[in-house]
Amino acid sequence: MLLEVKNLRTHLQTGNTIVKAVDDVSFTINKGETYCLVGESGSGKSISALSIIQLLPSDIASHPSGQIHFDYRHSDGDIEQVDMLQLADSRKRAIRGSRIAMIFQEPMTSLNPVYTIGDQIIEALQLHDANLDYQTARARAIEALAQVQIPSPEERVDEYPHRLSGGQRQRVMIAMAMACEPDLLIADEPTTALDVTVQAEILRLMQELQQRRGMGILFITHDFGVVAKMAHRLGVMRLGKIVEEGPLSKLLHSPQHEYTKQLIAALPENLARKRSITSAHETHPQTAELSDQPPLLELKNVKVYFPIKKGVLKRIVGYVKAVDDVTFNIRKGRILALVGESGCGKTTLGRAIIRLINPTAGTIAIEGQDITGLSAKQMLPFRRKMQIIFQDPMSSLNPRLSIAATLTEPMAVHHIGQSKDERIDMAREILKQVQLDPDYLWRYPHEFSGGQRQRIGIARALVLNPKFIVCDEITSALDVSVQAEVLQLLLQLQRDHDLTLLFITHNIGVVEFVSDEMAVMYDGKIVEHGSTHQVSNQPRHEYTRKLLAAVPRVPLNSN
Amino acid sequence: MSKTSQDISTNRTLQNQSYFKRIFTEVLTHWTARIGFGWIAILVIIAVFAPFLASSHPLLMSQQGQWSSPILAHLTPADATILAAFIAGLVLFFLKIRFLTKLAILLSVIFVSGLISSFTITPPELTIYEQYRENQSAQKYDWVVYAPVPYSPKDYLRDYGDTGLENPLADQDRTHWAGTEENGADVLSRMIHASRIALGIGFVATGIAMLIGIFIGGIMGYFSGVADMIGMRLVEIFEAIPTLFLLLTFVAFFGRSLYIMMIIIGITSWPGYARFVRAEFLRLREQEFVQSAIACGLPLRSILFRHILPNGIAPILVAASFGVASAILAEATLSFLGLGLVDDPSWGQMLNQAVQSATFNWWMAAFPGGAIFLTVFAYNLIGETMRDAIDPYVKKTTN
Repeated sequence: MLLEVKNLRTHLQTGNTIVKAVDDVSFTINKGETYCLVGESGSGKSISALSIIQLLPSDIASHPSGQIHFDYRHSDGDIEQVDMLQLADSRKRAIRGSRIAMIFQEPMTSLNPVYTIGDQIIEALQLHDANLDYQTARARAIEALAQVQIPSPEERVDEYPHRLSGGQRQRVMIAMAMACEPDLLIADEPTTALDVTVQAEILRLMQELQQRRGMGILFITHDFGVVAKMAHRLGVMRLGKIVEEGPLSKLLHSPQHEYTKQLIAALPENLARKRSITSAHETHPQTAELSDQPPLLELKNVKVYFPIKKGVLKRIVGYVKAVDDVTFNIRKGRILALVGESGCGKTTLGRAIIRLINPTAGTIAIEGQDITGLSAKQMLPFRRKMQIIFQDPMSSLNPRLSIAATLTEPMAVHHIGQSKDERIDMAREILKQVQLDPDYLWRYPHEFSGGQRQRIGIARALVLNPKFIVCDEITSALDVSVQAEVLQLLLQLQRDHDLTLLFITHNIGVVEFVSDEMAVMYDGKIVEHGSTHQVSNQPRHEYTRKLLAAVPRVPLNSN
Repeated sequence: MSKTSQDISTNRTLQNQSYFKRIFTEVLTHWTARIGFGWIAILVIIAVFAPFLASSHPLLMSQQGQWSSPILAHLTPADATILAAFIAGLVLFFLKIRFLTKLAILLSVIFVSGLISSFTITPPELTIYEQYRENQSAQKYDWVVYAPVPYSPKDYLRDYGDTGLENPLADQDRTHWAGTEENGADVLSRMIHASRIALGIGFVATGIAMLIGIFIGGIMGYFSGVADMIGMRLVEIFEAIPTLFLLLTFVAFFGRSLYIMMIIIGITSWPGYARFVRAEFLRLREQEFVQSAIACGLPLRSILFRHILPNGIAPILVAASFGVASAILAEATLSFLGLGLVDDPSWGQMLNQAVQSATFNWWMAAFPGGAIFLTVFAYNLIGETMRDAIDPYVKKTTN
């Protein structure tokens, strides 16, 4: 047994209140094993990891009980079992980095931008082995970079972090963690900030390194797809406790605890199965009717270019082609999912459609009327027909306005409702539709949870009774169970109000659950467009194939 | 058990308040800010009621059975306006209406009362301060009620002969708690009246600077592009102007006027606010709630003043708090250099007197210097706590 955590409690003190972040957690990790901690945000999984490596600030964190037994391998090969909670600070430091290493979620901020990546690896090496001279350390740094498959490591070792992409930086972080040959690697959501194709590469790399080194990995994630790919055993955390623990296949296929069942049922893949069973009987005849519907939204050769200016005179030296010649239609009542990785231009396209950004060229027509080039005043009647829901529930509501003000102001501008009281009544009605208490009208945004705010965001889009809504990554900031609720609500509303949706996302599972049609965007262009069933099962374009192959999937129960 | 439920209920009320109320309560929980606000409140009350606190004119007297109040007869239009504004402000503070409406009402009360009082109130042009004391010693009055400090700031005590600098409480006949200045006027009385100038110049100059700064900064931030470029050049030009030397030049050319000083300090200190506002607008413009306000087709006016400005105002208020302090210091500096107001009392001018005569007159330095120090200190305390209150990062670490 490499690591044994016994009855660990971690209490965090904030002001006068004590938060029991980790509450009686026990688990073990063997050599060469990957143990996944899964849970929704705030369940205490990161705090558990930080407790193991003892990185929590001692003035706010305390451990009322618990033992963390770790097999400390001395440099001469002797193995001593130590309790991380009882060690002196100097010995903790010696273990940290050399025997237990950690990689974090955000690769963009975890490297120091003023040092080359080589210097940062060499510093870590020399810290743990004072006898190491610079040349050997450098050689080992290059070796470490080669190990994480950075191309031409002899040259990249002198590169500064800003020259590397997100995926490469995460590789460098892994190289740094691996440089001292640790026995235990703690990975705290290491791929959450990365695109799926990059994520697939990083996960593969970690598995390879584990096989070669035989180290134990504590992998923290909220993504069951990643869990299914990485874990040997896993523990499901909720409110600081591990509610269920066991080998991967057992937990996925026959979960015992109610919460684990809920979590697995909330996965978009599982939701999709439910829907497709029902839709096989009901919606298929309808889709034939729907295909006769005239297109609600028509995009023709839409381009959004951002000029790159240089020099004193701000000459335009080139363009960033965020959206490059996009043409498609959405028929009334349909849901089109726009899929792509970060930076492919999907958000820009969504904003260009509702004229938050002016397109450089092309036409965007809603109900046959071209809205490009209209002035703000001419746009006003069209604003009612098309709305947008945003990704970040924290910044999508004005923190200074009550929900009532947020919902009724657009109504007043568009002369919906005769008096203030009538508008308030309508706002109450809409809050009921998004399954919120109508009395929430008099509250301010900071009083709500992320999922509630996202519902309010949907309510705001609905107050104008629009025909078309752009949903820009609306569930990517939410936990799985909340995501499931919001998606089901959205589909319900879509049917009730006969809405047409453009659903922008990077989550393939969500796409398969939600959409009728699917368009794949790559580098500003639409590379493939067709019915969701067809595109996800028989992708024709090479990029679509690569993207779909990279998606970590939960192997579903056959019965 | 009851304690936790009480905790929850207080938490609940805290959460239900609007952002500004929360900030305000947060600020007031710090004792440093309470000291700051306390001192400013005392100063405001002293400034508003200065004529009733320190004046040679009796508050009330009876002459051969005839009651009269010379102090009311000698009120200036400015005194009347300040009193009206204070009462209006006090009433408005307790009314539950929108802040902008309150501000509009207050400004119109000041304007109207200023207009009316300047036409109706005409104090006697020649004031003889000694008459009351002479009459009283000649036993012409039945009884007299004097102000707590029975000397006007410009009462040079001519009836006592050749007076000059006197230590506090040096004379048996008269009580001067803070001594007298070189012309023989009571220092405490002059300090009380000078608090008006200190407060006035702070508020008005900062108000002017904030107005210009928010307007230009808002245009720069929201429209960006060409507007931003022109605005930033304007900011740089104004930042290059040394305020003190501009003030010196203006005083040399146009004579000494409090209003010119206020305006010049105002129009040279707006660039700082403009930069703050610009940065806030640039940041908030990309926020999703602003984007969705645009997507709902809300008018520009609402987007700028309802959705962006209230979210970006907090850092500007912090800057304003420090700005008031620096405006007070600028006026004090100018007066200290002998370029302030000629006859009207000001704290800086009294400091100047402290060092001018051959001997060091400690009371001329300690009292006005202390007042300047306390006032600037109070504003800085308020600014510091406000900055901590609006900064989520600081809050996390201190709690």
